[in-house]
Amino acid sequence: MSKIRFTALFAVFLVALTALVVAGCGGGSSSTSEESSASGGGGGEKLTVGSDIPYPPFEQGKPGNYTGFDVELMEAIGEKIGREVEFQDTSFETIFRDVGQGKFEAVASAATITPEREKEVAFSDPYYLSEQAILVKEGSEIKGLAELEGKTVGAQQGTTGLELGKEKANAGELRPYPEGPDAINALKAGTIEAVIIDAPVAQNAIEEEGGVEIAEKVPTEEEYGIAVAKDSTELLKEINQGLKEVISDGTYTTIFEKWFHLKPPKQFQG
Amino acid sequence: MSQFFNQYFNFNVMGEHFGEVLVGFLQNLLVFAVAAALALTWGLVLALLRQLPGKKPMPIRFVTIAYIDFFRAVPILIIILMISGGVPFLSFLPESVRIPRWFGRPDTFWYGVTALVIVYGAFTAEVYRAGIEAVPRGQMEAARSLGMSHFQAMRHVVVPQGVTKIPAPMLNELISLLKDTTLISVIALSESVLVSREVLSERLNSSALTLTAIFFVIIILPLARVVDKLIARQQLKITRGSHIEVA
Amino acid sequence: MAEPMVKLEGIRKRFGKLEVLKGVDIEIAKGEVICILGPSGSGKSTLLRCVNLLEPPEEGEIFVEGNDICRGPGSGAGEQSWKLDFVRQRVGIVFQQFNLFPHKTALENVTLAQERALGRPKQEARAKATELLERVGLGDRLNQYPETLSGGQQQRVAIARALAMDPHVMLFDEVTSALDPELVKEVLDVMRELAEEGMTMMVVTHEIGFAREVADRVIFMDGGVIVEEGPPAEVLENPREERTRQFLGLVLDR
Repeated sequence: MSKIRFTALFAVFLVALTALVVAGCGGGSSSTSEESSASGGGGGEKLTVGSDIPYPPFEQGKPGNYTGFDVELMEAIGEKIGREVEFQDTSFETIFRDVGQGKFEAVASAATITPEREKEVAFSDPYYLSEQAILVKEGSEIKGLAELEGKTVGAQQGTTGLELGKEKANAGELRPYPEGPDAINALKAGTIEAVIIDAPVAQNAIEEEGGVEIAEKVPTEEEYGIAVAKDSTELLKEINQGLKEVISDGTYTTIFEKWFHLKPPKQFQG
Repeated sequence: MSQFFNQYFNFNVMGEHFGEVLVGFLQNLLVFAVAAALALTWGLVLALLRQLPGKKPMPIRFVTIAYIDFFRAVPILIIILMISGGVPFLSFLPESVRIPRWFGRPDTFWYGVTALVIVYGAFTAEVYRAGIEAVPRGQMEAARSLGMSHFQAMRHVVVPQGVTKIPAPMLNELISLLKDTTLISVIALSESVLVSREVLSERLNSSALTLTAIFFVIIILPLARVVDKLIARQQLKITRGSHIEVA
Repeated sequence: MAEPMVKLEGIRKRFGKLEVLKGVDIEIAKGEVICILGPSGSGKSTLLRCVNLLEPPEEGEIFVEGNDICRGPGSGAGEQSWKLDFVRQRVGIVFQQFNLFPHKTALENVTLAQERALGRPKQEARAKATELLERVGLGDRLNQYPETLSGGQQQRVAIARALAMDPHVMLFDEVTSALDPELVKEVLDVMRELAEEGMTMMVVTHEIGFAREVADRVIFMDGGVIVEEGPPAEVLENPREERTRQFLGLVLDR
């Protein structure tokens, strides 16, 4: 081949080789992936927590800077039980399988306690009462679940909102989005007409983003729990203990008021 | 080991969700059919534009080449996300274009098809180009010397010969296109991968994905064999020497 | 004196850095047959291809029937479609590699350009094509594809194809060089007949015998210029120039 071509190919080869060497040498230092970061807590041994980020106001922010209700609650619990909490961004649709397989030790991801899920994981005591909301564009004619008939509706994959949609809404098309915020964006773009999503997330969207409103709240009496692998009985005990303490000393109330601008329900007040 | 089989080859799961996954797969085939037809046409247009001779069409040639280079380089996923994420907000477009719901197919279908056509137009254009360039120059010269215009020469002499040389590489592109229809799952088009992921999160089992893979293999493997046969036949023709090659 | 059929003045042609034609002047009268001889690289094929604008020259003028068909670089005139059409429908060319359309039958090869470029109706084109193919001795192979024809037959189809456009000048670019020796005669015979019928022809060839018998004038080219020209008797039997002598010596020794 011509001299120029050969030189070019050789140069590319050298660059590739250099890159490999550098990656090999330098890579060893941080085994923690980009998506995980120490969030703080009680110091001591790390507690890895899987969560589908973003899902405001429960978990949001950038690696190294995660924040949100779930994040702060877990950090508070971590302090009580002497563990340093580290959040890992992960996909919600496999999150229960993943914690069962030890990818991380706990799940704090606005996860509703359901009998199905309890087959695969163990849940802590409930730490949040929730319901679903039908989120629509401001001024929409949709007033509630009933009017979803025949419409294009979005929800997040693997969530109880999607389940609700399947069971109760006679939607023309029910679209499962990989991330909650994707569904809300599609709503704003106008490609879908409603989103079924956790009420606090819907509320957050109204406050932080605007242009949307809640057509109806569907009281599903859902409770969120922190999930751990079925055989992590010790850890579960510790988390429940930590949660009790966080509630009784008022930390829970502080965090709750910060993120929801309301007093928490009676059972969670100190 | 049995865990492995349970996770990926659970026949109960496959059986229970067979219908759903099949319906999803039909959606993939539909996207493929539409996108393939459009991309094959668009690619030919691009290839011809690229070939326009003379000084005046130079800007057209330049833009065409830039288009082809760009869309061969950008990952399709990015294009899909850009279209579905941005187009609805382009308020200067009429609603029926921004959020297309043509022929009863949802907007996600059309965003996906558009992205695939944009990108695969570029790929097929290159296949056409190779075919056209494989036609000996003498053919074009003869046609032009007889007084035929560039366009006439292309249409009656060059392109008909060019397309006989392209089935193998073109089929490869089409196979690629069929597989890439699964990318549209990322914007929530209900096709086989999306359905399988739902099953995954419901049943915590990946067997539906295996089933989807099997569907694809069943369709694509025979096609890949056809490609191999075509290539082998071309090779045979060349070595037997059916052209008059003059130094 | 009548306007020459073809006139080339000061033709210069470059391919990249290589100058292939370094100032060539030729005049060809109507009905004249001129043969161009020369070693490879002498520019003779290029010169031929200038006449029908396949290779537009960088400098110089070309007149066909008194019309200036290329005003040299800068005016872009060589590209203007009316000039191209004019030239290509008056100047026919037959190539060394035949360049028949393999996906068309012999008949279709001859009718295609008639129908598309000239807009002749199908019937007329077919009639003309049939007549021409019969003239070149291929009346029984109208519906055969080029790949079933011998080299000589293919070249005859090519000649018929060019003639179908009713050209006033015919260019022949080493049309027998790619043929097996036993097939050369049939093609030369057709060309001879054509010459006898009064066609103006420019023939680049190695066939000295043909040049001797059929040409009105022989031109010897070397290194991009015309070295010598004149009636065949002179140039071929008694060349004035040393270079001509050398070339003929080599060629005739064969």
